[in-house]
Amino acid sequence: MTESMENIVDQHYEEEFEFPLWKLIKQCAEEKDISYSEASELVVPEYVKGIRYGDIEYEDAVIAAREKEMAEKRAKDNIVMEEKQAGKQLKEV
Amino acid sequence: MALDKIADKVIDTDLLVVGGGTGGCPMAAKAAEQGLKVTIVEKSNTKRSGNVGHGIDTYGIFAHGISVIDAVRLWQKKDMQGVNGPGRWVNSNIDYVLFKQGFWALDELERLGVPMKWDNGKYYWTPHLLRAPGVKAGLRVHWQNVKPIMTKMVKDRGVEILNRVMVLDLLTKNNRVTGATAVNTRTGEFIVIKAKAVALAAGFLCRCFEPETPTSYKYKFRYHYCPASISGDGFAIAYRAGAKLANMDINAWGFRIRDDATISFGNFPNNDGTPSKVFNWKGEEPPSYYYTKIAGYDEAEHIGMAPFYQSLNHLTDDYQKRLELNYNDEWLLAFKTAEDRKFNPRTHWWEFGKNKPLQFMMPQGVATDEHFRSSVDGLYAVGDNAAGVGGAYGACISGLVVGDTVSSYISEHGEPDIDEAQVESQKQKALAPLAVEDGAEFMDVECAIRYICERYVGNMRSEGMMREGVRRLNTLRREFANKIEAKNPHYLMRAHEVRNIMDLAELHIHACLNRKETRGGFVRVDYPEMDPAWNQKVTLQRMENGKSVLEIGEMPDLKQEYIDAEEGEK
Repeated sequence: MTESMENIVDQHYEEEFEFPLWKLIKQCAEEKDISYSEASELVVPEYVKGIRYGDIEYEDAVIAAREKEMAEKRAKDNIVMEEKQAGKQLKEV
Repeated sequence: MALDKIADKVIDTDLLVVGGGTGGCPMAAKAAEQGLKVTIVEKSNTKRSGNVGHGIDTYGIFAHGISVIDAVRLWQKKDMQGVNGPGRWVNSNIDYVLFKQGFWALDELERLGVPMKWDNGKYYWTPHLLRAPGVKAGLRVHWQNVKPIMTKMVKDRGVEILNRVMVLDLLTKNNRVTGATAVNTRTGEFIVIKAKAVALAAGFLCRCFEPETPTSYKYKFRYHYCPASISGDGFAIAYRAGAKLANMDINAWGFRIRDDATISFGNFPNNDGTPSKVFNWKGEEPPSYYYTKIAGYDEAEHIGMAPFYQSLNHLTDDYQKRLELNYNDEWLLAFKTAEDRKFNPRTHWWEFGKNKPLQFMMPQGVATDEHFRSSVDGLYAVGDNAAGVGGAYGACISGLVVGDTVSSYISEHGEPDIDEAQVESQKQKALAPLAVEDGAEFMDVECAIRYICERYVGNMRSEGMMREGVRRLNTLRREFANKIEAKNPHYLMRAHEVRNIMDLAELHIHACLNRKETRGGFVRVDYPEMDPAWNQKVTLQRMENGKSVLEIGEMPDLKQEYIDAEEGEK
């Protein structure tokens, strides 16, 4: 039996991409002939305006949704672990 | 013989600050404002040194949305003992001071010129550690350039900064610290610093374990954060001076430098209250037992479930943009690293490294009281250098507290009385590696120490393995400790780092051998149960007359006066 290795090698790392913010920082640094750090200070204040910082209602909703997911996961974990412990006592360390 | 005949340079100061990071700089600035002559000795350069040298995205843990006492309890029970095991911590009175003084420190930092507010001119609070309903204890900051700002802050206040100088040992007389000996890592100058008080702010230890970079260990530093601060220099010089170190049986913070996780540390896994998800290699979400417990991970490897991966693929577009800001504030280089590795957090995962020897860094270090005073008179420790103080907030607050109060100690004590024979002896040790020819390379010895720690005192410890570790470490010390060669003053610094790492690795193994139980992340496979005799106990180690002494101390309860003070405020 043989299996192609192509599908399992680096499958998470095959695409090219650019962080939008990093792209802006690089462009700014090149245009103004300044360091990335200096460019970052120029670019970030504008970039921040496009993010919903300070929208407490939105933030709390996102956080609550993730909390709910985690609580469901914990409940599911507990059931699995109870079943597992019934078959084999796990060493809790 | 006069001091100036022994040393190339003699410096006289009120307060010597060892380490110019996030703990050392605010302390130095505050102490200088009290009229003290302050000297910072920094192995690297204060402009980019210390654990926030590359920037940081989240400053705090504050008692914000929660009372100070509740914050202390929650931090101890949930965050610290959750990892280190029930009944295991250092000193809740230290936590009390950190939470109590947190907002004072925030005002002080603003006043000193350190930016703490968000773009809209307000504090930006996020759920970060201390996780509880309604609690937003973390302060999100733009701290990419906080170290250049802090450097200006101390210079403006007349603090003397000695960059590229490594403190090699402390000077003491009758259990009082009198100064330190140091070497310039560029010129090789041997320096004696006379000081009325010394504060250690030199970070923690993790270089006795191997990194997880995809490169060979010798070349790990390419993407490593803060290589200079993690050799435990502040721990080692305190230990050799007779100060007590606490909790050295808790693993030093293993290098969590795994491929893509390298790109950010601060807020990355928590991501403004939307923590990452964990998957196994088949894309299933496994029960947390398998990736949060050491025995669980061990079992997962045996049944073919490992490795595990963290993922932030679920974040909304808005939160993905926030993540970019995290990179920018925490470590601008993270963009370049991610780009080089083609790591895209919107679609990719990174390995969850629970198979590393890792517990929690903060309980380990110089044992202090809540005023950050060590067991040696006039010797203080702050930030990661002190046991039970951690993170940027702990460093800043403890540094400011010492900076604010050390003048009273100094005014009550006279000039330090330097023991010249001690200086002479330290000088011989300090410069010895420069005279070694055809000796061992420092990194070879350092890697050998890491191998011993990893192999014999890693996650799953047992008496036989650790005894063999001790034997190997003793052999290494006998054969190579005095044969590490330093071709120039920079390598002299590296040789002394190895000396420090070796001393601390030895302490670590002995402390682990002595703790015959399993508790939290501390696993003894030959003692798999918790031993009640260890409840509320702390391992303390110090050097006395050249011999290592280990004793078991009691973990102090939160003082009634602090509880009463908070009740009174209510």
